[in-house]
Amino acid sequence: MAKSVAILVGTKKGLWVFRSGAARQRWRAEGPYFAGQAVYHAAFDPRDGETVWAGVNATWGGPRIEVSHDLGRTWTIAANPAFPAGDDRTFARTWHIEAGHASQPGVVWAGTEPASLFRSGDRGHTWEPVRSLNDHPEHAFWSPGGGGLGLHSIAIDPADARSMTIGISSGGVYDTTDGGKTWTNGNAGTRSPIPVPDDPYVLRCVHHLVAHPTVPGVRFQQGHAGVYFRPAGAAKWTERSKGLPTDYGFSAAIHPHDADTAYVIPLEFPVRQSPAPSVGVYRTRDAGKTWKRLTKGLPKGDLEVMREGLATDRLDPAGVYFGSSNGEVWASRDEGHTWAQVSAYLPYVLSVSTATG
Amino acid sequence: MAPVTIRLHGAFSDFANGARRVDLDAATAGEALEALAVAHPSLRERLRDEHGVLRVHLSVFVNADDLASLDGDGTVLHDKDVVHIIPAVSGGGQ
Repeated sequence: MAKSVAILVGTKKGLWVFRSGAARQRWRAEGPYFAGQAVYHAAFDPRDGETVWAGVNATWGGPRIEVSHDLGRTWTIAANPAFPAGDDRTFARTWHIEAGHASQPGVVWAGTEPASLFRSGDRGHTWEPVRSLNDHPEHAFWSPGGGGLGLHSIAIDPADARSMTIGISSGGVYDTTDGGKTWTNGNAGTRSPIPVPDDPYVLRCVHHLVAHPTVPGVRFQQGHAGVYFRPAGAAKWTERSKGLPTDYGFSAAIHPHDADTAYVIPLEFPVRQSPAPSVGVYRTRDAGKTWKRLTKGLPKGDLEVMREGLATDRLDPAGVYFGSSNGEVWASRDEGHTWAQVSAYLPYVLSVSTATG
Repeated sequence: MAPVTIRLHGAFSDFANGARRVDLDAATAGEALEALAVAHPSLRERLRDEHGVLRVHLSVFVNADDLASLDGDGTVLHDKDVVHIIPAVSGGGQ
Protein backbone atom coordinates (compact mmCIF):
# COMPACT_ATOMS: atom_id res chain seq x y z
CA MET A 1 0.00 0.00 0.00
CA ALA A 2 1.49 3.32 -1.07
CA LYS A 3 2.20 5.70 1.77
CA SER A 4 3.34 8.87 0.05
CA VAL A 5 3.33 10.92 -3.11
CA ALA A 6 5.83 13.42 -4.44
CA ILE A 7 5.07 15.89 -7.22
CA LEU A 8 8.15 16.69 -9.29
CA VAL A 9 7.71 20.14 -10.82
CA GLY A 10 10.18 21.20 -13.51
CA THR A 11 10.25 24.91 -14.24
CA LYS A 12 12.24 27.36 -16.30
CA LYS A 13 14.26 28.14 -13.20
CA GLY A 14 14.71 24.87 -11.36
CA LEU A 15 13.03 21.78 -9.94
CA TRP A 16 10.68 21.77 -6.98
CA VAL A 17 9.53 18.64 -5.14
CA PHE A 18 6.28 18.66 -3.17
CA ARG A 19 5.81 15.75 -0.77
CA SER A 20 2.69 14.51 0.98
CA GLY A 21 1.29 11.46 2.70
CA ALA A 22 -1.28 9.28 0.99
CA ALA A 23 -4.06 11.64 2.11
CA ARG A 24 -2.53 14.31 -0.15
CA GLN A 25 -3.97 17.15 1.93
CA ARG A 26 -0.80 19.03 2.89
CA TRP A 27 2.30 19.42 0.73
CA ARG A 28 5.81 20.18 1.87
CA ALA A 29 7.98 21.99 -0.67
CA GLU A 30 11.64 21.27 -1.35
CA GLY A 31 13.83 23.14 -3.77
CA PRO A 32 14.60 24.65 -6.03
CA TYR A 33 17.15 22.15 -7.19
CA PHE A 34 19.25 23.44 -10.14
CA ALA A 35 18.12 26.98 -9.33
CA GLY A 36 17.95 29.25 -12.33
CA GLN A 37 18.21 26.37 -14.80
CA ALA A 38 15.40 25.04 -16.99
CA VAL A 39 14.22 21.56 -16.01
CA TYR A 40 12.15 20.24 -18.90
CA HIS A 41 11.23 16.97 -17.18
CA ALA A 42 11.86 14.95 -14.06
CA ALA A 43 10.97 11.28 -13.80
CA PHE A 44 10.66 8.76 -10.99
CA ASP A 45 11.71 5.12 -11.18
CA PRO A 46 8.85 3.01 -9.79
CA ARG A 47 11.04 -0.10 -10.05
CA ASP A 48 13.39 0.84 -7.22
CA GLY A 49 11.30 3.52 -5.52
CA GLU A 50 14.29 5.81 -5.01
CA THR A 51 15.73 7.03 -8.31
CA VAL A 52 14.74 10.29 -9.97
CA TRP A 53 16.15 11.78 -13.16
CA ALA A 54 16.05 15.42 -14.23
CA GLY A 55 16.59 16.81 -17.69
CA VAL A 56 18.39 20.10 -16.97
CA ASN A 57 18.74 22.30 -20.03
CA ALA A 58 21.07 24.95 -18.71
CA THR A 59 22.29 28.03 -20.51
CA TRP A 60 25.75 27.76 -18.95
CA GLY A 61 27.39 24.39 -19.28
CA GLY A 62 24.83 23.11 -21.76
CA PRO A 63 22.21 20.40 -21.35
CA ARG A 64 22.71 17.56 -18.91
CA ILE A 65 20.87 14.78 -17.12
CA GLU A 66 21.07 14.60 -13.35
CA VAL A 67 20.45 11.40 -11.37
CA SER A 68 19.29 11.08 -7.77
CA HIS A 69 19.12 7.81 -5.86
CA ASP A 70 17.45 9.32 -2.80
CA LEU A 71 14.21 10.69 -4.25
CA GLY A 72 15.69 13.99 -5.30
CA ARG A 73 17.60 15.03 -2.21
CA THR A 74 21.09 14.68 -3.72
CA TRP A 75 22.13 14.58 -7.36
CA THR A 76 25.01 13.51 -9.60
CA ILE A 77 25.60 14.52 -13.21
CA ALA A 78 25.32 11.75 -15.80
CA ALA A 79 27.48 11.46 -18.88
CA ASN A 80 25.64 13.32 -21.62
CA PRO A 81 23.66 11.60 -24.33
CA ALA A 82 25.94 12.14 -27.32
CA PHE A 83 25.66 11.81 -31.06
CA PRO A 84 28.46 9.76 -32.61
CA ALA A 85 31.46 11.27 -34.37
CA GLY A 86 30.57 12.30 -37.88
CA ASP A 87 26.93 12.93 -37.03
CA ASP A 88 26.00 16.55 -37.70
CA ARG A 89 23.55 16.61 -34.80
CA THR A 90 24.46 17.86 -31.32
CA PHE A 91 22.65 17.05 -28.09
CA ALA A 92 20.79 20.27 -27.32
CA ARG A 93 18.06 19.45 -24.77
CA THR A 94 16.45 16.61 -22.87
CA TRP A 95 12.70 16.62 -23.35
CA HIS A 96 11.66 13.45 -21.55
CA ILE A 97 13.11 10.67 -19.40
CA GLU A 98 11.30 7.37 -18.88
CA ALA A 99 12.11 4.43 -16.64
CA GLY A 100 12.39 1.24 -18.64
CA HIS A 101 10.21 -1.83 -18.40
CA ALA A 102 9.84 -3.55 -15.03
CA SER A 103 11.75 -6.57 -16.35
CA GLN A 104 14.77 -4.37 -17.23
CA PRO A 105 15.66 -2.62 -13.95
CA GLY A 106 18.77 -0.84 -15.26
CA VAL A 107 17.22 0.47 -18.45
CA VAL A 108 16.19 4.11 -18.85
CA TRP A 109 15.18 6.02 -21.98
CA ALA A 110 15.69 9.69 -22.85
CA GLY A 111 14.11 11.74 -25.59
CA THR A 112 16.14 14.68 -26.78
CA GLU A 113 16.41 17.60 -29.14
CA PRO A 114 17.19 17.24 -31.97
CA ALA A 115 14.58 14.50 -31.98
CA SER A 116 16.39 11.35 -30.94
CA LEU A 117 16.13 8.48 -28.51
CA PHE A 118 18.89 7.42 -26.13
CA ARG A 119 19.09 4.28 -23.99
CA SER A 120 20.86 3.81 -20.70
CA GLY A 121 21.66 0.39 -19.30
CA ASP A 122 23.01 1.66 -15.98
CA ARG A 123 20.08 3.56 -14.45
CA GLY A 124 20.76 6.73 -16.37
CA HIS A 125 24.43 7.37 -15.71
CA THR A 126 25.58 6.75 -19.31
CA TRP A 127 23.64 6.83 -22.58
CA GLU A 128 23.81 5.31 -26.06
CA PRO A 129 21.96 6.56 -29.14
CA VAL A 130 19.20 4.38 -30.59
CA ARG A 131 20.35 4.71 -34.15
CA SER A 132 17.54 2.61 -35.60
CA LEU A 133 15.19 5.45 -34.70
CA ASN A 134 17.52 8.43 -34.82
CA ASP A 135 18.51 7.53 -38.39
CA HIS A 136 15.07 6.31 -39.43
CA PRO A 137 14.50 6.83 -43.18
CA GLU A 138 11.74 9.33 -42.37
CA HIS A 139 13.86 11.44 -40.04
CA ALA A 140 14.69 13.80 -42.87
CA PHE A 141 11.00 14.78 -42.90
CA TRP A 142 10.89 15.67 -39.23
CA SER A 143 10.86 19.39 -38.67
CA PRO A 144 10.79 21.62 -35.60
CA GLY A 145 7.57 22.90 -34.12
CA GLY A 146 7.28 26.01 -31.99
CA GLY A 147 9.32 24.49 -29.18
CA GLY A 148 12.00 22.91 -31.34
CA LEU A 149 12.43 19.44 -32.81
CA GLY A 150 12.05 17.19 -29.81
CA LEU A 151 11.37 13.57 -29.00
CA HIS A 152 9.15 14.29 -26.02
CA SER A 153 7.09 11.19 -25.34
CA ILE A 154 8.22 7.65 -24.53
CA ALA A 155 5.53 5.08 -23.80
CA ILE A 156 6.56 1.61 -22.69
CA ASP A 157 4.08 -1.20 -22.81
CA PRO A 158 3.51 -2.76 -19.38
CA ALA A 159 3.24 -6.31 -20.75
CA ASP A 160 6.12 -6.39 -23.19
CA ALA A 161 9.48 -4.68 -22.82
CA ARG A 162 9.96 -4.92 -26.59
CA SER A 163 6.86 -2.81 -27.29
CA MET A 164 7.34 0.95 -27.13
CA THR A 165 5.83 4.03 -28.74
CA ILE A 166 7.48 7.43 -28.99
CA GLY A 167 6.29 10.88 -30.04
CA ILE A 168 8.17 13.56 -31.97
CA SER A 169 7.17 17.15 -32.71
CA SER A 170 6.93 17.41 -35.58
CA GLY A 171 7.29 13.93 -36.87
CA GLY A 172 4.64 12.00 -35.07
CA VAL A 173 4.38 8.55 -33.59
CA TYR A 174 6.74 5.61 -34.07
CA ASP A 175 6.28 2.10 -32.69
CA THR A 176 8.69 -0.72 -32.06
CA THR A 177 7.79 -4.30 -31.17
CA ASP A 178 11.34 -5.64 -31.08
CA GLY A 179 12.89 -3.55 -28.33
CA GLY A 180 13.97 -0.73 -30.63
CA LYS A 181 15.69 -2.66 -33.41
CA THR A 182 13.11 -1.43 -35.91
CA TRP A 183 10.50 1.33 -35.86
CA THR A 184 7.33 1.81 -37.88
CA ASN A 185 5.34 4.96 -38.50
CA GLY A 186 2.40 4.93 -36.09
CA ASN A 187 0.47 7.99 -37.26
CA ALA A 188 -2.36 6.20 -39.07
CA GLY A 189 -5.72 7.61 -38.07
CA THR A 190 -4.45 11.02 -36.99
CA ARG A 191 -5.15 14.28 -38.77
CA SER A 192 -2.68 16.82 -39.97
CA PRO A 193 -3.54 20.41 -38.98
CA ILE A 194 -3.07 21.20 -42.65
CA PRO A 195 -4.61 18.73 -45.11
CA VAL A 196 -1.89 16.89 -47.02
CA PRO A 197 -2.52 15.45 -50.51
CA ASP A 198 -1.84 11.70 -50.67
CA ASP A 199 -1.18 11.88 -46.95
CA PRO A 200 2.05 10.01 -46.18
CA TYR A 201 1.37 10.14 -42.43
CA VAL A 202 4.62 11.88 -41.66
CA LEU A 203 5.06 15.29 -40.07
CA ARG A 204 2.30 14.73 -37.55
CA CYS A 205 2.54 17.03 -34.55
CA VAL A 206 1.84 14.81 -31.57
CA HIS A 207 2.01 16.94 -28.45
CA HIS A 208 2.03 14.29 -25.71
CA LEU A 209 1.65 10.53 -25.75
CA VAL A 210 1.27 8.01 -22.94
CA ALA A 211 0.78 4.27 -22.47
CA HIS A 212 -1.40 2.86 -19.75
CA PRO A 213 0.90 1.69 -16.92
CA THR A 214 -0.82 -1.68 -16.37
CA VAL A 215 -3.19 -2.44 -19.27
CA PRO A 216 -1.24 -3.71 -22.29
CA GLY A 217 -1.46 -2.07 -25.68
CA VAL A 218 -3.36 1.10 -24.78
CA ARG A 219 -2.03 4.43 -26.08
CA PHE A 220 -3.48 7.92 -25.62
CA GLN A 221 -2.37 11.20 -27.14
CA GLN A 222 -3.11 14.89 -27.40
CA GLY A 223 -2.00 16.21 -30.75
CA HIS A 224 -1.88 19.58 -32.43
CA ALA A 225 -5.08 18.48 -34.17
CA GLY A 226 -7.08 16.14 -32.04
CA VAL A 227 -7.22 13.83 -29.06
CA TYR A 228 -6.84 10.15 -29.89
CA PHE A 229 -7.04 6.70 -28.32
CA ARG A 230 -5.46 3.57 -29.75
CA PRO A 231 -6.65 0.41 -28.05
CA ALA A 232 -4.64 -2.80 -27.84
CA GLY A 233 -4.24 -4.47 -31.21
CA ALA A 234 -5.49 -1.49 -33.22
CA ALA A 235 -3.47 -0.36 -36.21
CA LYS A 236 -4.99 3.11 -36.25
CA TRP A 237 -5.78 5.87 -33.80
CA THR A 238 -9.42 6.81 -33.19
CA GLU A 239 -10.07 10.50 -32.79
CA ARG A 240 -11.96 11.39 -29.62
CA SER A 241 -12.06 15.19 -29.77
CA LYS A 242 -15.87 15.45 -29.84
CA GLY A 243 -17.12 16.92 -26.59
CA LEU A 244 -13.98 18.97 -25.96
CA PRO A 245 -14.03 22.76 -26.43
CA THR A 246 -11.03 22.60 -28.77
CA ASP A 247 -9.09 19.83 -30.46
CA TYR A 248 -5.85 21.56 -29.49
CA GLY A 249 -3.76 21.27 -26.36
CA PHE A 250 -0.51 19.86 -25.10
CA SER A 251 -1.10 17.79 -21.99
CA ALA A 252 -2.49 14.27 -21.66
CA ALA A 253 -2.64 11.86 -18.74
CA ILE A 254 -4.21 8.47 -18.23
CA HIS A 255 -5.77 7.00 -15.10
CA PRO A 256 -3.40 4.59 -13.34
CA HIS A 257 -5.95 1.81 -12.91
CA ASP A 258 -8.62 2.33 -15.58
CA ALA A 259 -7.50 2.45 -19.21
CA ASP A 260 -10.77 4.09 -20.30
CA THR A 261 -10.22 7.09 -18.04
CA ALA A 262 -7.97 9.89 -19.20
CA TYR A 263 -7.47 13.62 -18.79
CA VAL A 264 -6.67 16.58 -21.04
CA ILE A 265 -6.59 20.36 -20.61
CA PRO A 266 -7.67 21.88 -23.93
CA LEU A 267 -6.17 25.15 -25.08
CA GLU A 268 -7.11 27.77 -27.64
CA PHE A 269 -4.94 27.92 -30.73
CA PRO A 270 -2.73 29.90 -31.24
CA VAL A 271 -2.81 31.80 -27.95
CA ARG A 272 -2.29 28.60 -25.90
CA GLN A 273 -4.63 29.71 -23.14
CA SER A 274 -7.63 27.79 -21.81
CA PRO A 275 -10.78 28.54 -23.82
CA ALA A 276 -13.76 30.41 -22.34
CA PRO A 277 -15.08 30.46 -19.76
CA SER A 278 -11.96 29.43 -17.78
CA VAL A 279 -9.47 26.67 -17.22
CA GLY A 280 -10.98 23.20 -17.02
CA VAL A 281 -9.64 19.69 -16.76
CA TYR A 282 -11.57 17.33 -19.02
CA ARG A 283 -12.00 13.71 -18.03
CA THR A 284 -13.34 10.78 -20.01
CA ARG A 285 -14.38 7.51 -18.43
CA ASP A 286 -15.24 5.78 -21.71
CA ALA A 287 -12.05 6.10 -23.75
CA GLY A 288 -12.99 9.46 -25.15
CA LYS A 289 -16.56 8.84 -26.30
CA THR A 290 -17.70 11.49 -23.82
CA TRP A 291 -15.90 14.14 -21.79
CA LYS A 292 -16.75 15.93 -18.54
CA ARG A 293 -15.40 19.35 -17.59
CA LEU A 294 -13.99 19.38 -14.05
CA THR A 295 -13.56 22.77 -12.37
CA LYS A 296 -14.52 22.49 -8.69
CA GLY A 297 -11.90 24.47 -6.80
CA LEU A 298 -10.11 25.74 -9.90
CA PRO A 299 -9.68 29.48 -10.53
CA LYS A 300 -11.97 31.42 -12.86
CA GLY A 301 -9.18 32.46 -15.15
CA ASP A 302 -7.19 31.28 -18.11
CA LEU A 303 -4.15 29.07 -17.67
CA GLU A 304 -1.62 27.57 -20.03
CA VAL A 305 -0.53 23.98 -19.40
CA MET A 306 2.30 22.53 -21.46
CA ARG A 307 2.95 19.02 -22.77
CA GLU A 308 4.46 17.61 -19.56
CA GLY A 309 2.17 19.65 -17.35
CA LEU A 310 -0.47 17.05 -16.44
CA ALA A 311 0.04 13.80 -14.51
CA THR A 312 -1.62 11.20 -12.33
CA ASP A 313 -0.27 9.33 -9.33
CA ARG A 314 -0.72 5.58 -8.67
CA LEU A 315 -3.02 5.77 -5.63
CA ASP A 316 -6.68 4.75 -5.41
CA PRO A 317 -8.54 7.04 -5.76
CA ALA A 318 -6.07 8.48 -8.22
CA GLY A 319 -4.52 11.88 -7.76
CA VAL A 320 -4.38 14.23 -10.73
CA TYR A 321 -1.96 17.16 -10.95
CA PHE A 322 -1.17 19.99 -13.31
CA GLY A 323 1.15 22.97 -13.46
CA SER A 324 0.75 26.15 -15.48
CA SER A 325 2.98 28.61 -17.21
CA ASN A 326 2.15 31.27 -14.62
CA GLY A 327 3.73 29.11 -11.92
CA GLU A 328 0.72 27.46 -10.30
CA VAL A 329 0.46 23.80 -9.30
CA TRP A 330 -2.96 22.23 -8.72
CA ALA A 331 -3.87 18.84 -7.26
CA SER A 332 -6.94 16.66 -7.08
CA ARG A 333 -6.95 13.72 -4.70
CA ASP A 334 -10.29 12.41 -5.94
CA GLU A 335 -9.67 11.73 -9.64
CA GLY A 336 -10.35 15.30 -10.72
CA HIS A 337 -13.66 15.92 -8.94
CA THR A 338 -12.25 18.64 -6.67
CA TRP A 339 -9.05 20.68 -6.87
CA ALA A 340 -6.78 22.51 -4.45
CA GLN A 341 -3.76 24.67 -5.09
CA VAL A 342 -0.43 23.15 -4.09
CA SER A 343 1.73 26.15 -4.94
CA ALA A 344 1.77 29.49 -6.74
CA TYR A 345 4.36 32.03 -7.80
CA LEU A 346 6.74 29.40 -9.11
CA PRO A 347 8.56 30.09 -12.37
CA TYR A 348 6.96 28.93 -15.63
CA VAL A 349 6.06 25.27 -15.09
CA LEU A 350 7.43 23.00 -17.81
CA SER A 351 6.63 19.61 -16.32
CA VAL A 352 4.71 17.83 -13.62
CA SER A 353 5.30 14.19 -12.78
CA THR A 354 4.71 12.05 -9.74
CA ALA A 355 6.43 9.53 -7.50
CA THR A 356 4.15 7.19 -5.60
CA GLY A 357 6.00 5.32 -2.87
CA MET B 1 54.83 23.92 -21.92
CA ALA B 2 54.18 27.01 -19.81
CA PRO B 3 52.95 27.26 -16.23
CA VAL B 4 49.54 28.93 -16.45
CA THR B 5 46.57 29.57 -14.21
CA ILE B 6 42.96 28.85 -15.02
CA ARG B 7 40.32 30.91 -13.26
CA LEU B 8 36.82 29.43 -13.07
CA HIS B 9 34.00 31.92 -12.77
CA GLY B 10 30.34 31.56 -11.82
CA ALA B 11 28.62 28.34 -12.78
CA PHE B 12 31.84 26.81 -14.04
CA SER B 13 33.29 26.95 -10.54
CA ASP B 14 30.15 25.18 -9.31
CA PHE B 15 30.68 22.41 -11.88
CA ALA B 16 34.22 21.93 -10.51
CA ASN B 17 33.06 21.43 -6.91
CA GLY B 18 33.75 25.04 -6.05
CA ALA B 19 37.30 25.24 -7.40
CA ARG B 20 38.09 28.75 -8.59
CA ARG B 21 41.73 28.36 -9.56
CA VAL B 22 43.65 25.55 -11.23
CA ASP B 23 47.40 25.77 -11.90
CA LEU B 24 48.75 23.59 -14.69
CA ASP B 25 51.25 23.41 -17.53
CA ALA B 26 50.10 23.81 -21.13
CA ALA B 27 51.52 24.98 -24.42
CA THR B 28 48.21 26.06 -25.96
CA ALA B 29 44.73 27.06 -24.87
CA GLY B 30 43.39 23.74 -26.17
CA GLU B 31 45.91 21.85 -24.05
CA ALA B 32 44.99 23.95 -21.02
CA LEU B 33 41.29 23.19 -21.44
CA GLU B 34 42.04 19.49 -21.88
CA ALA B 35 44.23 19.47 -18.76
CA LEU B 36 41.45 21.25 -16.90
CA ALA B 37 38.97 18.57 -17.96
CA VAL B 38 41.36 15.88 -16.76
CA ALA B 39 41.74 17.63 -13.41
CA HIS B 40 37.98 18.16 -13.12
CA PRO B 41 36.17 15.57 -15.28
CA SER B 42 32.79 17.05 -14.38
CA LEU B 43 33.77 20.09 -16.45
CA ARG B 44 34.45 18.25 -19.71
CA GLU B 45 30.90 18.21 -21.06
CA ARG B 46 30.18 21.61 -19.58
CA LEU B 47 32.93 23.17 -21.70
CA ARG B 48 32.43 21.39 -25.01
CA ASP B 49 29.72 19.44 -26.81
CA GLU B 50 30.21 15.86 -28.01
CA HIS B 51 31.96 17.07 -31.16
CA GLY B 52 34.51 19.12 -29.23
CA VAL B 53 32.96 22.51 -29.97
CA LEU B 54 33.11 25.04 -27.15
CA ARG B 55 29.64 25.68 -25.75
CA VAL B 56 27.78 28.72 -26.96
CA HIS B 57 27.32 30.54 -23.68
CA LEU B 58 30.93 30.19 -22.60
CA SER B 59 33.63 32.80 -22.92
CA VAL B 60 37.28 31.84 -22.69
CA PHE B 61 39.75 34.66 -22.25
CA VAL B 62 43.52 34.46 -22.25
CA ASN B 63 44.46 37.33 -19.97
CA ALA B 64 42.31 40.14 -21.43
CA ASP B 65 41.73 38.67 -24.88
CA ASP B 66 38.77 36.60 -26.03
CA LEU B 67 39.92 33.22 -27.33
CA ALA B 68 37.59 33.71 -30.29
CA SER B 69 39.69 36.70 -31.38
CA LEU B 70 42.95 34.76 -31.00
CA ASP B 71 43.82 31.41 -32.54
CA GLY B 72 41.21 29.36 -30.72
CA ASP B 73 42.49 26.11 -29.26
CA GLY B 74 45.81 26.72 -30.99
CA THR B 75 46.48 29.95 -29.11
CA VAL B 76 50.00 29.73 -27.68
CA LEU B 77 50.28 30.26 -23.93
CA HIS B 78 53.20 31.88 -22.14
CA ASP B 79 54.50 31.72 -18.59
CA LYS B 80 52.00 33.10 -16.06
CA ASP B 81 49.19 33.55 -18.57
CA VAL B 82 45.74 33.43 -16.98
CA VAL B 83 42.93 31.61 -18.79
CA HIS B 84 39.47 32.71 -17.65
CA ILE B 85 36.42 30.41 -18.00
CA ILE B 86 33.46 32.76 -17.87
CA PRO B 87 29.70 32.25 -18.22
CA ALA B 88 28.91 34.45 -21.21
CA VAL B 89 26.54 37.32 -20.65
CA SER B 90 24.34 36.27 -23.53
CA GLY B 91 21.07 34.60 -24.37
CA GLY B 92 17.79 36.15 -23.33
CA GLY B 93 15.89 34.43 -26.09
CA GLN B 94 13.62 32.47 -23.75
